Amino acid sequence: MTVIAVSIAGAAGAVCRYLISGWVQNAVRLDFPVGTLTVNLGGSLGLGLIVGTGPLDSTLILFAAGFLAGFTTFSTWMIETIRLGPRSHRTLLNLAGSLAGGLAACAVGFTLTN
Amino acid sequence: MAPSFQLSKSLTSARHRTGGWHSVAAVAAGGLVGSAARTGIGVWIPTPEAGFPIGVVVINLTGSLFLGFYLARRERAIGRRTSLQFWAIGMLGSFTTFSTFSVDLLQMLAAGRPLVASSYLGVSVLGGLGLALAGQRIGAAMP
Repeated sequence: MTVIAVSIAGAAGAVCRYLISGWVQNAVRLDFPVGTLTVNLGGSLGLGLIVGTGPLDSTLILFAAGFLAGFTTFSTWMIETIRLGPRSHRTLLNLAGSLAGGLAACAVGFTLTN
Repeated sequence: MAPSFQLSKSLTSARHRTGGWHSVAAVAAGGLVGSAARTGIGVWIPTPEAGFPIGVVVINLTGSLFLGFYLARRERAIGRRTSLQFWAIGMLGSFTTFSTFSVDLLQMLAAGRPLVASSYLGVSVLGGLGLALAGQRIGAAMP
């Protein structure tokens, strides 16, 4: 597994994140970062599914470390949480919802394949 | 609508305003660089078996700092149309990772290490929020 292959998979993940999160955000029309939430929970479900299969072959490692890592994002989650404002209940909802949802998505994925 | 959400609204709507192939190419190029940097740091700071994933913390915290800084700078001077797609969405978006973070947390909890899990969560989230804010302040304060 080379850095180049992981990076190409990461670039594909970034493009999918861009298109899917933008599409969801536009479709839902809420003052809440549902686009980022969607890709982060979807990516967590995907990684749970992969980890649940047990010892990974190189293709799955490439998909997990490249595509899914690039598909999900931590920095956008942080900045969008800040931009919701310090006194908004949506700030806490975005933090708790992503955390609980991410853990639940991972657990569901893991359980399905393990 | 809270005024504080304006920027992320504009970040989101920018995705659609400039949703052509040049934007997709900018996201791909940024994603390539961000993923390479993340992989490089991951090799440089390996996670010990059943240990604390310091590499992921370093990646997610520095990415949050730089994203806050970049967006604050961008508010002061409108950059090229595709620079948001390259830097913020492509590069810093894929440099940092949420899926690894949540699967790490789940595995810590499943392994019966709630203290490690809560410190990982606390350092990542409080550190990420603090550094993103700090990045914004620094970016806004610079001439």
